[in-house]
Amino acid sequence: MSEMWINMGPQHPMTHGLWNLRVKIDGEIVLDVDPEMGYLHRGIEKISEDRHYNEIITLMDRTCYVAGIAWEHLFILAAEQALHVEPPERALWIRMLSEEFQRVASHLMWYAAFVQDIGLMSPFLYGMRDRDLVLDLFQSYTGGRLTYEYMRVGGVRNDLPPGFAEQARKVCDWLLDRFVEYDRLCSGSDIFHRRCDDLGVVKAQDCIRLGITGPMLRSAGVPRDLRKDRPYAAYDRVDFDVATAETADVTGRYVVRMEELRQSVRIIRQALDWLDKNPGPVMADNVPRWMGAPYAPVGREGYLLKREYPKGVGFSAIEEPHGEALAYVVNEGGEHPYRVKLKSPVFVNLSAARHYLVGYRVADIPPIMGSVDICVGEVDR
Amino acid sequence: MAPLSLYGVANTLVSTLLLHLAAVLPAPLSTLASNSGLITALSVLLFGAILLGASLLNTILLIWFERKMLGRFMDRRGAMHVGYAGLLQNFADGLKLFRKHTFKPRDADGLGFFSAPTAYMVTSIVMFGILPISTGWNSGSLPLSLLLALVVFSFAPLFIFLGAWSSANKYSLIGGMRSAAQMIAYEVPILLAVVAVILLSGSFDLSTIVAEQRNYWFWGPLFLALLVFVAGMLAEMERIPFDLPEAEAELVEGWNTEYGGMLFAFFMLADYARALVGSYLIVLLFLGGWTMPGWVPAPLTNFPLAGILWFQVKTYLVFGVFIWVRASLPRVRTDQLLRVGWMRMIPLALLSIVLAALVVLAKCLPVFGCVPSVGG
Amino acid sequence: MEGEELSRRLVGKFPAVVVEPFRETAGRVRFPPEILLDLFREMRDGLGFDHLGQVGAIDWVEEREVFYTLWSDREKQYVFLSTRVPASAPHLESLTPVFSSANWHEREAWELVGIEFDHHPDLRPLLTPTGYEFHPLLRSFQLHEPEGLEVKVRDV
Repeated sequence: MSEMWINMGPQHPMTHGLWNLRVKIDGEIVLDVDPEMGYLHRGIEKISEDRHYNEIITLMDRTCYVAGIAWEHLFILAAEQALHVEPPERALWIRMLSEEFQRVASHLMWYAAFVQDIGLMSPFLYGMRDRDLVLDLFQSYTGGRLTYEYMRVGGVRNDLPPGFAEQARKVCDWLLDRFVEYDRLCSGSDIFHRRCDDLGVVKAQDCIRLGITGPMLRSAGVPRDLRKDRPYAAYDRVDFDVATAETADVTGRYVVRMEELRQSVRIIRQALDWLDKNPGPVMADNVPRWMGAPYAPVGREGYLLKREYPKGVGFSAIEEPHGEALAYVVNEGGEHPYRVKLKSPVFVNLSAARHYLVGYRVADIPPIMGSVDICVGEVDR
Repeated sequence: MAPLSLYGVANTLVSTLLLHLAAVLPAPLSTLASNSGLITALSVLLFGAILLGASLLNTILLIWFERKMLGRFMDRRGAMHVGYAGLLQNFADGLKLFRKHTFKPRDADGLGFFSAPTAYMVTSIVMFGILPISTGWNSGSLPLSLLLALVVFSFAPLFIFLGAWSSANKYSLIGGMRSAAQMIAYEVPILLAVVAVILLSGSFDLSTIVAEQRNYWFWGPLFLALLVFVAGMLAEMERIPFDLPEAEAELVEGWNTEYGGMLFAFFMLADYARALVGSYLIVLLFLGGWTMPGWVPAPLTNFPLAGILWFQVKTYLVFGVFIWVRASLPRVRTDQLLRVGWMRMIPLALLSIVLAALVVLAKCLPVFGCVPSVGG
Repeated sequence: MEGEELSRRLVGKFPAVVVEPFRETAGRVRFPPEILLDLFREMRDGLGFDHLGQVGAIDWVEEREVFYTLWSDREKQYVFLSTRVPASAPHLESLTPVFSSANWHEREAWELVGIEFDHHPDLRPLLTPTGYEFHPLLRSFQLHEPEGLEVKVRDV
C-alpha cells in the first residue's frame, strides 16, 4: 500500500469530540499528522465581551464540558481580581472541593474513554457508573450535573446542603475501593502493557519545549502542579502529593491520573472536615447585590441601571484536570469585560501531536490521543 | 426402532404427505407424486430448511446470550424490553435493519460490494450443514467432513477483502488487509492443532472423532492443541482481543464501515454464525461433542435429543468463555498479533502434534493392551 | 524572583523595557516589538522562564497588544510580557524560533485579532473556517444586536 492521507474525524470514534486528525500513513505506520481544529469554535471569548460577568459563568461551563466547574473557578479567580472582590474563606474551600470533585469526574471520564480506545469494554461502564456518583453529588448542591453555574464573583451561589458531607464521604470510600479494581483491570493486564508501554513518549525537555502541561508533563517526571507551586483557593492548607511517573509514555500518564484520583479523594476528605467545622458566609459582603442578578435591575423611572466597575485586570492560573489553564480578564470599567483570554492546556498538548504520534502505528493513535485526554470544547472555545 | 435422525423425520413427513396426495390426485400426477426421486429431493429440501432455520435461530439466541452475559460483566442488564428478558430484541433489531435503505457508496464497485456480504453469509451458513451436532443431525456421514469444514471456514478472508476493497473506503481497505493477514496467519496454527486431533482419533470424519472420545475427551491429552485452537478461533472470529480488523477505536468499523442496513445485518449474522461454528468445532474436536462421560447418571443422557441438548450446553459454555475474554481483555496490535501467530502459535501447535503422536504411541504399549487404529 | 530583581536584570540588557508589579507574578514586562526575540531568548536562557504558557492579543482600536505568559519551574512563578503594535500595521516577529509551542497560539492570535506574525512557519486559520475573512475578536467586529429593541441607559 502506498502512502495516503486519511481523515480521522471530525466524526470518528477516536476523536472524543469534534475535530479532525489528518494522518498520513504508509501501511500501518504514521508518517505525519495534522490536527484540524475549529469544529466546535463557539467564540466564547467574543461572546464574553458582550456579557455581564456572572453571565460568563454559563459560558465557562460550556468551555469544557467534562470539567465545567474548573473553568468557572478559573474565570472567577481572574474576574475577582479584575473587579477587586475578595471572597470569604468558606467559599474558597467549597470551590476547592468542587474542583477536586470535578477532577475526579473528569479523570473517571478519561478512564472510561481511554480503556475504550485500547479495546477494553467493561471498565468503560465502570468508569461512567462511578462518575455518575460524583455527578449526583454535584447535583445535590449545584443543581446541575454537567453545567453548574455555581460559582459567583465574590463566592459561590449557595452553601452545601445538610447531609452532604456524609454522602460525599460514602462516595469517597466507594471510589477508593473501585480504584483498586480499575488498576487490576488495566495495569494488571499483560496486553495493556504490551499496548501502552513506550508509546507516545514525550521526554521532560520536549514537554517543556512544546509547552505541554498537566498529567503529560508529570508523567515525564516533572513534579509540576500549580496547586502546589502557586497555591490558589485553599490548596496551601491541605496535604496532598503531586503524582509523577518516570516513563513519559501512555502507561505513565495512566499511572499519574490514577494516583491523582486518589490524591483528589484525599483533598476532598480534608475539605469536608474543614467545612464541617467552619460554618460561615459563602458570598462576600462587598459585592453589590445586583451582581448576582442575571439581568440589570430596573430603576425607579423604568430605566436600566448602568453598572460601572473600577478598572482592573485579572490573571489566574489553575491546575485544571487536563493541565495548566490560564485566564486573563481585562476590565475597562464597562459592565462587560473588555477582553477575556483563556488558555487551554489541551490546546497546547494537542498542538504537539506531531511529536508524539509520528513513527507509531495507526492502532497506536487511539491510546496515545486517549492518554492526552482531549476536550475539544476547551481547545476551540 | 432406528435412531432418531433429522433426515429420517423429513423423509417420513414428505413421503407421508406425497402418499396422501397420490391417493387423491389424478393419474399422471399421482405417479409423479409417488416417484422416489421426488420424495428424496423434497426431503432434502425440508431437511435443509429445518436445519437452516434451527441454526439461524440458534445464532440469534447466541447473540442474545452474548448481550446478556456482556451486560452482566459490565454491571448492567443488557436487553430487557422486547420479549421476556429481551429475548426478542434481536428480532426487533433485525427488523429495523431490514427496513433500512440499502445503499452503495458512489465510488464502490457494485458487484463486489453486494456479492461480498452474500458470499460471506453463505459460506458461514453452509458450515451448519457440515458439522454434526448429534447422531443423525447432519447431512449424513462425510468421510472428510473435518477437512470440508475447515476449507469452507477459511473462505472468509477472501470475501471480507472483496467487500473491503470494493467499498472504496480507506478504513475498509486497512481493515480488510488486517483481516486477511490475521486470518491467514491463524489458519496455519488452527490446521496444525487439528492435525493433532486427527492423529489421535485416526479419522477426518467429525462423527468418528466424537465417537473416539467416548473414553476420554481430547482436551486432556491435547491441552496444548486446545489452547492453540481456541486462540486461533478467537482470531478467526475477530473477537476481542483479536478484533483488529474492526477495531472501532481507530478503524471506525473496519472492513464493514460502508455497509448499512441489511448488508450490515448479513455481516453481523454471519459473524455470529462463525462464532457459533467455531464453538461447535471446539466442542466437537476437544470436548466430546454430544457424548457425556460415564459418570453422568443415565437419566440425564438417554432421553430423546439429549445429545443435542448437551452439545448446546457445551457450546454455550465455550462461547461464554469467549464473552468473558471479550469483557476483560484489551485489544492487541496487528504486529503483536501476527508475531504471536507466526512465532508462538505455530511452534506450540507443532509441539502439540508431537504430544499427540506420543499419546498414540503410548496407546500401543502392551500395558494398555490395545491396538492403534489406523484410518477411520 | 521579585519584581525589582527582574527589573534589574532585564533593564540592564534592554533599556527600553519597563517592569511593573502584576497580580502575583514576577511582574509585567512591557517591551518594544523590535527586541522580541532577544528578550525572550534572555528570559528563557538567562532567567529560566522556559515554559511558554500562552500568547494572546487584545485590540485597543488604535493599537493591538500582544501578551505572553512564561513560567519558570525554578522560580515557581509566572511572568507576564506584553508589547503593542499599531493597528495600521499589525506586524510582529514570530516567537516560534525561541518557543516552538508558540505556533498554535500565534495562529489563533492571527485569525482572531489579526496580528501578522512574520516568519511564522505555518500561518493558517486554526479555529475559523477556511476562507473566513474576518478577525472576530476585533472591536470593529460587532455581534448581532436585536433590532427594534430600544434600551434606555442611565448612569447610576
